[in-house]
Amino acid sequence: MTVLTSRPLALTALALASALFLLAQAPTPVTPPPNPANQATLRAANGDRVITIARQNGLTYFAADEAMAALGGSVTREGNGFKAALNNTVAAFGTDSRFGVVKDDLIEMPVPPITIDNRPYVPWQFFQGFLIRSSGLDATWDPAARILQIHPAQTTAVSVQVSVANVQGISKVVVTLTAPADYTIVKEPGAYTVRFRNAIKAPYVEQAHEDPYVARTSFIGNDLRIQLTAPDVVGDAYRLENPFRIVLDLRKGAASGPGTPQPVISSRPVESPGIHTIVIDPGHGGKEVGAIGPAGLMEKDATLTLCRKLAAALEAKLKTRVVLTRNDDTVVPLDQRTAIANQYHADLFLSVHMNAAIVKGAHGAETYFLSLDASDKLAEKAAELENASKNAAPAASSDLKLMLWDLAQQEYLNESSRLAQAVQEEMNRITGIQSRGVKQAPFKVLVGATMPAALVEVAFITNPDEESKIKSDAFQATVVEALTKAVERYKIDYETRIGIAQPPPPAVPTTTAPAAPTTTTKAATTRTGT
Amino acid sequence: MRRAVALSLAILAIAGGCKKRALTPNLNVENKVQVRPVTLYFEGPEMLLVRETRNVALPENPAGALSEVAKELLKGSANAGVPHIFPRDTVVRATFLLPDGTAFIDLGGDTLTQGWGTGSHEELMAVYSVVQTVTTNFPEAKRVRILVNDEPAETLAGHVNLSRALVPRPEFVAR
Repeated sequence: MTVLTSRPLALTALALASALFLLAQAPTPVTPPPNPANQATLRAANGDRVITIARQNGLTYFAADEAMAALGGSVTREGNGFKAALNNTVAAFGTDSRFGVVKDDLIEMPVPPITIDNRPYVPWQFFQGFLIRSSGLDATWDPAARILQIHPAQTTAVSVQVSVANVQGISKVVVTLTAPADYTIVKEPGAYTVRFRNAIKAPYVEQAHEDPYVARTSFIGNDLRIQLTAPDVVGDAYRLENPFRIVLDLRKGAASGPGTPQPVISSRPVESPGIHTIVIDPGHGGKEVGAIGPAGLMEKDATLTLCRKLAAALEAKLKTRVVLTRNDDTVVPLDQRTAIANQYHADLFLSVHMNAAIVKGAHGAETYFLSLDASDKLAEKAAELENASKNAAPAASSDLKLMLWDLAQQEYLNESSRLAQAVQEEMNRITGIQSRGVKQAPFKVLVGATMPAALVEVAFITNPDEESKIKSDAFQATVVEALTKAVERYKIDYETRIGIAQPPPPAVPTTTAPAAPTTTTKAATTRTGT
Repeated sequence: MRRAVALSLAILAIAGGCKKRALTPNLNVENKVQVRPVTLYFEGPEMLLVRETRNVALPENPAGALSEVAKELLKGSANAGVPHIFPRDTVVRATFLLPDGTAFIDLGGDTLTQGWGTGSHEELMAVYSVVQTVTTNFPEAKRVRILVNDEPAETLAGHVNLSRALVPRPEFVAR
């Protein structure tokens, strides 16, 4: 076992791949004979080819060597696995993993490839994942016609991501798209179908969910089918912008439930500049307990207690709307936490945690904002793709949008730094515990937040002394005071810099609430100034 | 485990096959093991990563050596006073090194599988002990992607984003 370090060999492979590509391009397109059951048509720009397929357990597999040869590439056996090569890009895959590897990324397949007579057969998603990364092409499988269509990745194809989370008894299905799309939502017995009018790029074929109301989600053509766990589950749908999202809130319905949800336009009022909505994120929750102190205090409980008090203090002091990402002992996925903040058009996001260390005696507070350098490669790729997209590389364009979404927080890093600084300074000043400073780290919960965002580690729960402090009402009050003061400082500073001479007068409660809250308040806890 | 090994073998075999033809046709040479100094990173008393050098018998080819170095890191420091960063049941399931400079480290073990309850600091130390160790000992590795049980992982313990490859971070290392 060793590593590919030979440039001459890589060049040889490139030459070979190029030669194969030219050879494959040369033949006149042929019309395939009628397909027997073990054959399909591979339809590409250079014509139709017949390739061998196999069916196992109801799934269709494609002879990888035949398909890749038809596209101008190759598949070779290497040890216990296989190597597919096309356009100087190499993908590796094995028969015992549903993940192939290409460049520094993974190709996800619904099931692992198989071998028949020592030849590799792969699900069609292998070609989709590999071609997009190697040649700007995409693959679509039509099982009825048995045609594997190879086509340029469509500029109009919108990439879709789906997340499902249950918060406070509401299952929230968030469908995030890389561009606005026309759609309708159809209620069927036991299911909702989101029917897109334009082409979409599905992230998977089918996925099961451990959710009280959502059994599985699946993509069929341009339909997203949301299979419910019971027929009396009902929902409300609405859409949000930047990024474009369709949100379906599902709950157990009464007989008079809303029935067929219709897409609604987010009629969020234009908000005046300034800090009006603050999202506070109590770290961890549910089975994700976080760190545990020597006396048994769990981080998830400590953060929730503290954040409830902080929310009340912020409302009282700043008269702003405050949203908690959770208000009970529930698992909330990390990306859902920033999604909640984005959904509420929050002006500030603060995640609250308790720290842990194996070093005895570790103590003090530290505050983080997102680091850029962990994303260097990503940023580099994004720049490359941006250049490539000028030449109308369609796949690159959609990938770019996804990457830029990953990088959303970068735009706010300067503000996040100021927020983190204010938090740390007030923690130092008011709590009197040791300062561990402001730092940067690639924390998942900060990725994708489209507002200034920071994460504060209040104290070390693994330190017996600090664990005792964390449990005490007096210390909690001190920390709440420090964090409230920090947010107030940041708010005044920010609003002064953007030209608001005075801090905004006390807000009239809820009158500026966006359209979504009637539903979103069920998913996240909204607290409004009184 | 079988899946991870298979994937690893597939990738390593690709690379191995290439190098074998191009550079070292003699398998005996390729599989030669040599005792070499490696630099491992553990958490020091200042709550930053500190270097520890030890001699380890390693295959001469980098991909084979990568797995051994990662396993050596998980053994912990030779100094009994230096605590273990990773949960003690953590194992290296597979490693592979791609030509573009991305090293994949596939970790497993009951704690990581069931959910590691620890704080940001400890998770940062654990993740970057791997990143620093790999990139220090293998100059061809420019970045490190950590998987858990052969699958992409969001985080190890709820904080550090593992959905992308990570580059070294000198500020987490004691000067």
